[in-house]
Amino acid sequence: MLRVVIGGYGPLQVWCALLLATALPVRGQTHDEHAFRLDVGAQVLPLMTHASPALAGDAMTEAYLTQPMLFVHQQWRGVSAQVTLNLEGWTLERGELNAGNAGEGYVDRRHPHTFLHEAVLSASAARGGWSGSVAAGRGFVPFGTDDPMARPIAKYAANHHLAQILERWILLGAVRRGPVIVEGSLFNGDEPTSPESLGRIERFGDSWSARVTLLPHDALELQGSHARVESPEHAPGGGLDSRKWSASVRASHGTLYGMVEWARTTEYSGDRRAFAFASVLGEASAEVGAFRVAARFERTSRPEEERMGSAFRSARPHSDDNIIGVTRWRIATLNIARDVRLGDLRVTPFAEASRLSVEEITGSIFDPDEHYGSSNHWSLSAGFRIGAGLVHSRMGRYAVGMPSH
Amino acid sequence: MHRYAFLLLVLAASLTACDPEPVGPGGREPNDSLFDAVEFPVLGHGTTQERYTAEVAARDDWAYTSTWSARGAIQGNAIKIWDVSGNTPLLVDSLIVENAATLGDVQISDDGSLLVVATERNNGSIVIYDRSTDPRRPVRLSRHMSDATRNTGVHTVKLGRVNGRHYAFLSVNPGPPRLVVVDITDPANPVEVLVKVMGVPFIHDVFVRDGLLFTALWNGGLTIWDIGGGGNEGADPANPILIGNVQTVNGAVHNVWWYHAPDGSKRYAFVGEEGPGSLGASSTGDVHVVDVSDMAQPHEVAFFHVPGAGAHNFVMDEEAGVLYAAFYNGGVRALDVRGDLSDCEPNQRNGDRCNLGLMDRQVGVGLHNRGVISIWGVAKVGDVIYASDMLTGLFALDATGLRAR
Repeated sequence: MLRVVIGGYGPLQVWCALLLATALPVRGQTHDEHAFRLDVGAQVLPLMTHASPALAGDAMTEAYLTQPMLFVHQQWRGVSAQVTLNLEGWTLERGELNAGNAGEGYVDRRHPHTFLHEAVLSASAARGGWSGSVAAGRGFVPFGTDDPMARPIAKYAANHHLAQILERWILLGAVRRGPVIVEGSLFNGDEPTSPESLGRIERFGDSWSARVTLLPHDALELQGSHARVESPEHAPGGGLDSRKWSASVRASHGTLYGMVEWARTTEYSGDRRAFAFASVLGEASAEVGAFRVAARFERTSRPEEERMGSAFRSARPHSDDNIIGVTRWRIATLNIARDVRLGDLRVTPFAEASRLSVEEITGSIFDPDEHYGSSNHWSLSAGFRIGAGLVHSRMGRYAVGMPSH
Repeated sequence: MHRYAFLLLVLAASLTACDPEPVGPGGREPNDSLFDAVEFPVLGHGTTQERYTAEVAARDDWAYTSTWSARGAIQGNAIKIWDVSGNTPLLVDSLIVENAATLGDVQISDDGSLLVVATERNNGSIVIYDRSTDPRRPVRLSRHMSDATRNTGVHTVKLGRVNGRHYAFLSVNPGPPRLVVVDITDPANPVEVLVKVMGVPFIHDVFVRDGLLFTALWNGGLTIWDIGGGGNEGADPANPILIGNVQTVNGAVHNVWWYHAPDGSKRYAFVGEEGPGSLGASSTGDVHVVDVSDMAQPHEVAFFHVPGAGAHNFVMDEEAGVLYAAFYNGGVRALDVRGDLSDCEPNQRNGDRCNLGLMDRQVGVGLHNRGVISIWGVAKVGDVIYASDMLTGLFALDATGLRAR
């Protein structure tokens, strides 16, 4: 039985035991829509990454267990529950080497997600061509595109914090008629401050989002969304506020997948515009013979901030509203994988390479050549996606908000 | 499907052709009127570039600069010691503070005997040195680190004497922001006498004089306390008694100087506002003039604005009635603050505040046209202004031109 040592999480011990006990034998879905259904799954990515240069001209090579997660989906009539436990707080405390990525106090390393990644209860109903749902709990805000964890490239995109809002207390509603889905939500603006963080429930409702999705074709999905997030990087409040925009086109047909997105976040001090960061990203994947090939191209700008104790950690919360520069990252990534089935386990070995270039674009004091030793980097990774049971194929949508054709 | 794939490609190409240019506050080059201002010639430039330079303190033939954040792989854990007996500051030595990540502030006591440094972020503390015997080689006396400072860090420290005892006033951030007062009458054995939560969401700095304490509480404004000189029974540094508060325009109250004019007037306190900025390229924030004639009801009467640049630390030549302010990318600005700053013509007002710029109160400027520059702090010894530049080290500027006014 998986032993959970986090104070106050005693019931999770039971959850984890249940999940592990049922993960393998439970398969797929029944065809009876009125039957109680429980789907569970798990995944983990053992991964090794070589980044060159990582800092001051030196390369770094590290290995991790990344994205260790347990999934539970329950469905009964129009009521569903979705729980995702993420154990990166145990396996990724130092963060995962991921040049260009920044957020929640980690720089050029992806931060570990919270243990309680998702716990959302939804209720849906349909009538006369309309369908609607209400969902509440802790999870993804209806904004932007799917979480990179559910996409073909193992290394997160640098635009993760521009293109998704997650791990918040949410109340969201969704309405669908025909090919149009409209979602709206209220949530707490503060980002998690640690893997144990449950956010500030007292701030619930200080932020909101809205998303419109169009489904003009079985293979096509268009999305546009906007969010107002209050003081995300300063949990007690009083930090800069974010106004976020996202638009994307997603296509999938069989084993073919492609997505293009644009995202922009503008930060405000009261009504005064302070900074803006933007991203354009395109990715696609297809089967080529026995292999699955995926590629991603991205151009994203991000703030450079005061480092604290380590070049890979930035100050959270801040002590003022200054940054030391804005860098623009151009990243091209190629991933080659091959699915292998070992009994109930899905094992997908993969190799991934990224070529990155970075430049400071405002004339501020941060100098990428000085910091990294070069403006051009390589990142090479190899590992396995290992999964069993339920596949969490889309992350970031609930109930009626989940496109279905 | 192929049609949609083609459309996706076209969309991706067009999006990547767009330049998601970030937006920063202000502009890169200040464009204010400098026609009547004296240009401070550069006497010399002492360079040190392996770390970012932060605050400067100077007395007689010696200056000290602290260091900030990480520059590449090198932490800001050094105090630089400069021989300023000549025109060009000469770096002669450094003091390394163990287990420190950032040294945001450095101060010299009023009698010149002590050098005190604040350590921020990791292992927050103040470190006290004796410089009385040999200013070139300060001798460490003690390091005060407590539960109130350790995990968050001391952003600034200011020294002051009250009723015969010597105190250090520490502004500790982040969460919760707090004022910590340490009795350093015996500097080898500092004693913490007060921990008081204050600041919205930060406390950034204080000013101590005549038994009164001025606290810069960011969006909480400027607050004035009796710590033994205001006539309130029981008031002392361990028991500050609130006198008054003012919310200056735009908030972000960062630092303060209570001016004692040669004619005995103590009417004005000058407040620095630190708005958002991308250091080296842009910054925001004005100098605000607060009338403290009635300490219980202080009110703002004037301000000074530099387009595209923001105020940081300042120092005063009170005898001459000149305030010298560091303005980050705007260099150093000198303001004539003699007389009645609330008395101005209608065309010199913005709302109910006088605009010191329109009143031609800017009488000196330095380092404002040197490309990428970020002046953190200023100190003055005789007719020389020492200005610390985050990127390159320490400038010495000639202020003798102001004598002719």
